[in-house]
This record gives sequence, C-alpha cells and structure tokens, in this order.
Amino acid sequence: MDGFQSDADTRGTFNRFFPEREEQRAVLTQAVLDHAAAGFIGLDAASNVVLCNRVAAEMLGITPPQLWQPIPLSQYLRESTRLDKVGQLQFAAALHPATKFNRQSGLSAVDQTLQLTLLDGRFLQVIVHQVDANHSFVSLNVGAIGELPPERTDGLTGLSDRQWFRERLTERLMAPEQEDQVAVLLIDLDRFKAINDSHGHPVGDALLQMVAQRLRSVVRDGDLVSRLGGDEFAVTMSGVGAPEAMGHRLVDLLSRPYLIEGHVAVVGASIGIAVGPRDGADTSSLVRAADLALYQAKEDGRQSVRVFKQEMDTRARARHALLDDLRRALALQQFEVHYQPQTNLGSRQLVGFEALVRWRHPELGLIPPDRFIPLAEEMGLIVGIGEWVLRRACLDAMSWPGELSVAVNVSAKQLEDPNRLPRVVEAALATSGLPAKRLEVEITESALVRYEQQALHVLHALRAKGVRVSMDDFGTGYSSLSQLRSFPFDKLKIDRSFVRDLSNSDEAVAVIRAIAALGASLGMTTTAEGVETDEQEAMVRNDGCTDMQGYLVSRPVPAEDVSKLIASLTIDTPIFQESIR
Amino acid sequence: MTNDLFRLVYCSRNTISADQSDPAAEIAKILAASRANNARDGVTGALLYSDGCFAQVLEGDLDVVQQTFERIQRDTRHGDVIVLEARRAEARMFGMWDMALAEPADPIKARSILGLALAEPNGDAGTTVVALLDGLVRREGDWASAA
Repeated sequence: MDGFQSDADTRGTFNRFFPEREEQRAVLTQAVLDHAAAGFIGLDAASNVVLCNRVAAEMLGITPPQLWQPIPLSQYLRESTRLDKVGQLQFAAALHPATKFNRQSGLSAVDQTLQLTLLDGRFLQVIVHQVDANHSFVSLNVGAIGELPPERTDGLTGLSDRQWFRERLTERLMAPEQEDQVAVLLIDLDRFKAINDSHGHPVGDALLQMVAQRLRSVVRDGDLVSRLGGDEFAVTMSGVGAPEAMGHRLVDLLSRPYLIEGHVAVVGASIGIAVGPRDGADTSSLVRAADLALYQAKEDGRQSVRVFKQEMDTRARARHALLDDLRRALALQQFEVHYQPQTNLGSRQLVGFEALVRWRHPELGLIPPDRFIPLAEEMGLIVGIGEWVLRRACLDAMSWPGELSVAVNVSAKQLEDPNRLPRVVEAALATSGLPAKRLEVEITESALVRYEQQALHVLHALRAKGVRVSMDDFGTGYSSLSQLRSFPFDKLKIDRSFVRDLSNSDEAVAVIRAIAALGASLGMTTTAEGVETDEQEAMVRNDGCTDMQGYLVSRPVPAEDVSKLIASLTIDTPIFQESIR
Repeated sequence: MTNDLFRLVYCSRNTISADQSDPAAEIAKILAASRANNARDGVTGALLYSDGCFAQVLEGDLDVVQQTFERIQRDTRHGDVIVLEARRAEARMFGMWDMALAEPADPIKARSILGLALAEPNGDAGTTVVALLDGLVRREGDWASAA
C-alpha cells in the first residue's frame, strides 16, 4: 500500500528527480495489488472508489471496469453478483463519510470490521482502514462461517481478541430477534501473576494456551471464546443457554491442575456474568455489568461465579461517589481525630491516648473507619490523611497535662518511602513543640512483615529522635521472633481478638501470657486492646500485661472532651464511663 | 525440554452418575480410548477404579505425559483431581501396559488407601498409590500368564 502511505511531499520530490519512476511505481503497485491474496479497494474522502484490485472484484463478482474516474461505492457495489441488496447497503453504509465517525455503535472508526454474508453462504470480511481524512481502504477476505481474520486473532492462544469480542457482541445486541439473549462471561484467572513470577513467562504462556484450549473444549458450537488481554478471557453465549451452569463448569475445569514442563501449576478462575439485553442494551453497558459481577466474584473470595444484579451497579456507584468525597474530605476539613485512653494495669493511672481518625461526612454523618480506611489505602490517600492526623495529634497533646503520650497509627503505605515519615514526624514535633518522648508511632504487624526493610529504616530513624514505637495488632501477622529481636520496639499491642476470646479459650490465655512474658524479657510494655469487661481486665492483669485500652475505660472521644476525661480518670473513682458523644 | 522418563500419579472422584449412564461401560470406554492413545504416544500406566474414586499412573516422555494429562483434565467424567506425584522416574513400573486396569480383590482396603491418599496428598501418598496399583496389576498379570 505504498502509494497511499508515502508522504505526498517526499513523493513529489522523488518524482521531480526521477519522473520515470512514477510510472514504474504505478505499474509495480498495481501488479503487487493484483497478486495480493486479499481484496483491496481504495477510497477517497467522499468514499468514491479510486482503486480496486483484481481479487476484490472477483470476491464481489464485479467485472472490473477500468476506473477512469472515481465512482461512488454504492454505485460500484450495485454491479456485484455475489452480494445481495442488503449486503451492498451495509457495505456502503459502513463507508459512508458520516458512518465512519460514528462512535455510538461502539465500534471505533479506525479499523472497523464488518461481516457480510455472500450469496453462496460464505462470509465476506470487510476491514476498514482509515489512512487519513482523504484516504481510506478496505481489505476483503472471504472465509467459511466463523473464520477469524489474522488481525483479530490473539497470537499466543489463537483466540479472538478484545475488538472482535466487542464487535460480535454489538452485532448480537443489535440483532432484531428479541427473544434471543446474549450472555457475557468475563473470566479472570486467580493467582496467574504468581505463576508467572515463580516459574517465568514461558510457563505462564503455556498455561494461557492450555486455558484457552480448556475453554474451547467445553463451550458450545455457536459460542465465542476471546482473550481480552493478560489473564482475562471472555465467553459470549447466544441464544437460549444456561450461562450460570456454564460458569460453574468453567471454574471447575480451569482450576484443575496443569502439568507444564514437569511442574504442577494451579490457578483458579473468577467469573462474572451478565445477560443482554436485560442487564445492558448496548455493548458498553453489558460489558460493564459483567465486569461488576466479576468484581463481586473476586471480592467474595475468588474461584466463584457471580451473575449481575442491579444492586451491584448501585453499590459501585455509591463506592465511586464515596471515593470522590474522600478525595475532597481532607481539603474540606471533614476529618476529626478522636482519642482513646490507655491506662496502666498496675497503677490504674492514665498513661496516654491513641489517636484515631474519624470522617464526618456532610450527608452520611460519621463514617466508620473500616469503610473508608481501606478505600483511602487503595487510592493512596492514606498518606495525606495519616500525616494530617499526626500533626493534629501532636498539637492536641500539647494541651494535655503532664507526660501523657499520644499514639498515632501509621499505615503500611506510609512506609513505602522510608525517608518521608521521619521528616514528617520531625516537622510535626517542631511545629507543636511536643517532646519526642511523648509521641508513639504504631505500626501493624502485617505492615511490618510486608515492608520489612523500609520499616526497619523508619523505626530506627524515629527511635533516634526519641520517638517511641509500638507494634499494633500483634498476633495477627506473620512476624517471626527474630524480627522482634532486631526491631527496636517499645510496646506490643495485643490484638483485641485474643482478649475477646479469653473467657472461653485456654489458648487465648496461653498466648497472652506468652506475649506478656516475651515483652517483659525484651523490655517492651504490653497493651491489651479491646478490654470491655471487668473480667477481661482482671484476666489480662493476671496474665502479665502492663497496660490496657478499651471500652471498659472509655470509647474514643473528640479532642474537646479529652480534658474532661483526663480529669475523671485521675480522680480515684471506680472506672465507669458513659459514652461521651 | 528433555525427554527423560516422567511419572505422574493422580487421584480423582468419579462424576458419572449411575442413572445417567452405566459406570462400568464408561470405564470400559475410558480404558479403550486410553489404551489406543497411549500405544500411539508411548505412554504406559495403570488405572484403578474403586467405589467412586479413580487413581491413575502415567509414565512416558514428559511432553506426551503432559499432553495426555491435559486431555484427562478436560474430561468431565471425573473431578476433584489431586496430583500426588509428578517427577522424573528411573524406570517404567508398568512397562507392559498401555493402560492396565487394576481391579482390587479387596475393594474396601483399596478404597481406604485411596481415601487416605486423597485426604493427605503429601510425598508419600504418591508412592503408596503406585505401590497399590503395582500390586494389583501384577496379580492380574500373574493370572494371565498362569492361564
């Protein structure tokens, strides 16, 4: 297709120096075109036929007239003895200047594919290539029904690609037979990345090929299997069928072990199903519905099948709205810091407070942390929020009497850049004037295990400034005893689940005793979290813990109520608190 | 990919329901197809069917064993496939058999050995199942030669 793609200026220059080449080029170009396996028709801006090769004319059954001047495509096609009236109109319509830029059909203007049926039953594949505003051409291929052109085939698996999948889906949805449903099954392989990482890409590729074959082996004749990319596949089922049953069969089949190069690899599959036109009348909304169902399947623990339900859409929109609000919340000052007291079990004295972030949404009210913290972490917003809490907490603590400490939580995400947190802490201390020894930084056990190197660096830097460090939710992560020895912790906070199970589990008692003893021998204080009853208080004291935190003493309270709380806790009265809101 | 001898041992549960088709007939079909394919591919092995469980050993070149196993995996007549062993082997144990059928004289004992292997698929489980199959097959062979 050199004649179309040469830069006009270059060609002009070339021809000026070598005028005889122009003719030579034209003759050769025509010869090449006439020997091509595919049919080619070249068109101008108004979709007039400017050029047509022998094969295209044969495919269309047109006795090729010499093209002395451009002919409108519709007129040209009227000569076709292989394409019926409807086909001719569809072909011409696809190349009508207005249609070429029609985005509503869900097809992109460039490289649009059309499938027409010839009178002899075979199908004609028409692919439109838009070169520029003034030039386009179509390539024509004739094939048996269902034959996939090479441009729409995934090189690795031989399955149809994402574009083919969307185009065929669009066709099915626009089909006049309304009783016909079309089901879309979106398939995501679980743990595929792990296989690629541990065994390398050749094994990963072989696995994808086997997955493709397994899919092909189980779908029905009219169904389409496509590879959308990476480890994502789709099955399009049309007519009457049982998509959910098929989904379950696929999950079962795909999760059976694969033997590749002597290794046994196991992956799982999550599948989301949507049925059109019920769940979506056009391609984009139907695929979105299936995607939401897939998201649910992954959320629900993977290796499962979920069918789209309207509430998935509602929930997705609500989540999206909440995310939008969360992004603005910091700027709009919608966060608050609440404080929960920590008391010493031996002396019953108040030792400090833990700072906990709260989000007061203008319409939804106080949103619980377990609803927005995971979102904040996902979006990376947690870093900004965490740093704001740190600064706020240092300022608030300055108004408390004596040596009361304030403990601030640090998210795993804040450890990613190990130099940032120590700088932020330093700035917060300087601005507030809070002595470093009154500040405690809490890191969860799982964050520690996940970012071991960075955490080590951060903790040493903080310790060097005189700030204290605690390990939060101890007992729920996978830290090792050697890590405990190498990390400079001041405090271990025992996860509330152990405290909760104290009265009915001997194991919980044993674990708490062991942690308390460990803490004592390594010079760390141990705080029992989630103490709610007198009985639990007695038990944790008995088990050797040094401090406690929980509703028994007080719920977390807003900053303005802290001084009242301090006053009531330092008087020697029985520990009894009304919830302060 | 080298072509050393490779052995694969697996267990699975039968999903052929008695009211849909005769399990015995299905197993005969499985055996026949298996023997034909294996003769062509140079695969040897043994198949045990006992009280709802399959156990099978496949021996041969790595690539053919892989292809054979993949074909088996696509078969919907069984499920809950657990691979007990998949590694290089010194020599064939079922060299004479394209696919021997192991029919246990004591189905209950065979079933319990399989059950144990399915419940705890560790390194020994593979060896145990192979030994079980080996013992059963050899007995069938002894009778055949004695006849």
